[in-house]
Amino acid sequence: MDGTIFIPLMVVIPIICAVLVNLLHEHSGVTKIFGYIGAICLPIVPILAVYGNHFFGGYQPLANGGLTVALPEAANAIISGSFLELFHPAITYAFGPGQQVILFVLGLVAMCAVFISIAETKKTSGVYLYMLFMLSAALMAFVLTDDIFNLYVFFEIAALVQVGLILVSRVRGNYETGLKYMLLGEVGGSFMLLGIALILGLTGNVNISDIVMMIHTGLVNPTNPVLLFAAGMLIYGWLYATGLPPFNAIKSEIYSKGLPSGSMLLQSFSVIACISIGLVIIRIFGYLPTAQMAMLAVSVIAMILGICMAMVQDDYKRIIAYLAVGELGYIGVGLGLATPLSITAGLFQAVNELVVTSFLFIGFGLVLYKTRTSKISKLGGLVEYMPVAALLTVLAGFAMAGVPPFNVFQSKYLLCQAAIAAGIPELAVIMIILSIVTFLAFLKMAYAIFLRPKPDELEVSSASVPKTTMAVMIVFLIICLIIGLFPGLVVDKLGVLALTAFAL
Amino acid sequence: MAIEIVQCGALITAALLMIIGLVALVYLDNVLKKIIGAAFIGDGVNLLIIALGYRVNGIPYIFLQNMDVNSFLGQASYPLPFALVLTSIVIGASTLAVMLALAVVLYKRNGTLSATALLNDKKLGEENNE
Repeated sequence: MDGTIFIPLMVVIPIICAVLVNLLHEHSGVTKIFGYIGAICLPIVPILAVYGNHFFGGYQPLANGGLTVALPEAANAIISGSFLELFHPAITYAFGPGQQVILFVLGLVAMCAVFISIAETKKTSGVYLYMLFMLSAALMAFVLTDDIFNLYVFFEIAALVQVGLILVSRVRGNYETGLKYMLLGEVGGSFMLLGIALILGLTGNVNISDIVMMIHTGLVNPTNPVLLFAAGMLIYGWLYATGLPPFNAIKSEIYSKGLPSGSMLLQSFSVIACISIGLVIIRIFGYLPTAQMAMLAVSVIAMILGICMAMVQDDYKRIIAYLAVGELGYIGVGLGLATPLSITAGLFQAVNELVVTSFLFIGFGLVLYKTRTSKISKLGGLVEYMPVAALLTVLAGFAMAGVPPFNVFQSKYLLCQAAIAAGIPELAVIMIILSIVTFLAFLKMAYAIFLRPKPDELEVSSASVPKTTMAVMIVFLIICLIIGLFPGLVVDKLGVLALTAFAL
Repeated sequence: MAIEIVQCGALITAALLMIIGLVALVYLDNVLKKIIGAAFIGDGVNLLIIALGYRVNGIPYIFLQNMDVNSFLGQASYPLPFALVLTSIVIGASTLAVMLALAVVLYKRNGTLSATALLNDKKLGEENNE
């Protein structure tokens, strides 16, 4: 059996699971079994898959071996010997070492989200699991697809599912936030589609590799104003999907309205969208310094705004949400510098953030589980009630701030090196200062929630911390330490993906 | 020439739809009007894609048995934009349905469709801190 068959299965399996758990949502036991099976498959399939391309319908480029049917003579006369032989006639999924690392970590995060969701609810909700699986499928497709319209389709599916995840959370104001996000999303999605339409109009193509080939070989004028406008539209879509300014406030609101398991995947969407759409922009418009400068500028603003907004909040869910958006700025900086080293560092930071932010969402989710409040001024003394969970949560905070020997230290260090190598040492200084501020923000929050005397009016639930949740936190801690101590395991593979951004 | 005007007309209409949609989304206070504005933007983009696939004196991309291959290749419209628009319409309809459902729920809960009252940043922030 050809190992490339596993490439589409990374998207197909979660979709099948989503449909099954939704259909069988009235049977809690069966839903739970399908949930567990599907969740376990998520990180395993990327390991089993063999590197290569999957051509849907078997339609390969003619240069690769061609179609299974004979072309009409007239069509053959046009195509034969021309650049058209290189074109991809159908949707293509590309899978390499970089994609493998990202999808494995993403699968692990999605698996943990499903496990926690099943463990923390008395009756397993098939509808909620449906949304977790659909979002996982959309994110997997984001990483794999080499088709810009396919990217847009999964972008819209993911946007809809995200709203669904917020609606089921029953947090006050979730409907309002959902509608607001959808209204903004309609503009972001439409503008992105407009960009795709303009590129299609100029190149006649939606396959990213084909578009890149046409632009970089001069078949399409790279300075065509329509193409530049399309770049602007795609960058707008990237900002919306990622939650970088001016969308940082709504994105933070979205994170804070979700359940911990939902928020894990909500932030995963931002991270994966950031690198997937970002890489598409760099691949297609790599020749435009303006596009890279725009990405860089917005990312720096996001880093600064994220930490500043986090410092003035009294709600720990919002603090993590703002910090998560701020951390996305680091990924954007890596992509915006647009050198092989910086892109590798940006991708490394993305992989680390998938783990660390999920780790934090679970940790603070436990605080909510025990106290039913997210207001820091009402909390205190929780270390007595949940000592191990408190320690793990503080360590997650340290990991996000970039304290050695955790993984984020390595990626931020690599980002600083990339900034210096690109001739912008000031950027490295900004990143170091912001990391220190993040560390201080966590110290302050950890003291207020866990260490200071417990307020008299605070009621702490006597329910014990779910064992599954604790196990997931320990798994995340181990991943943080392994990647932190052996960064080469991840960086070498991500470097290959970074180099493809510069290949024709 | 007359047919090219049709294509131009489609492009201008698409631009107008997008502009009207954006204005409605930004300046109108009624949530339903905002949703209609958002749908207009998507419709404008769909119309633009259809206009891109238009071919003067073109025929649909359906090869019939009695057709000459050369004349078919010379006349057939490019089918990709139409395929994309079909998908885009389905996505737009789903998004619109969810937005309208949310508007109905919010109206039942609050008795108003004013965006200022419902989607105010300050109000949402306060609710979050409760």
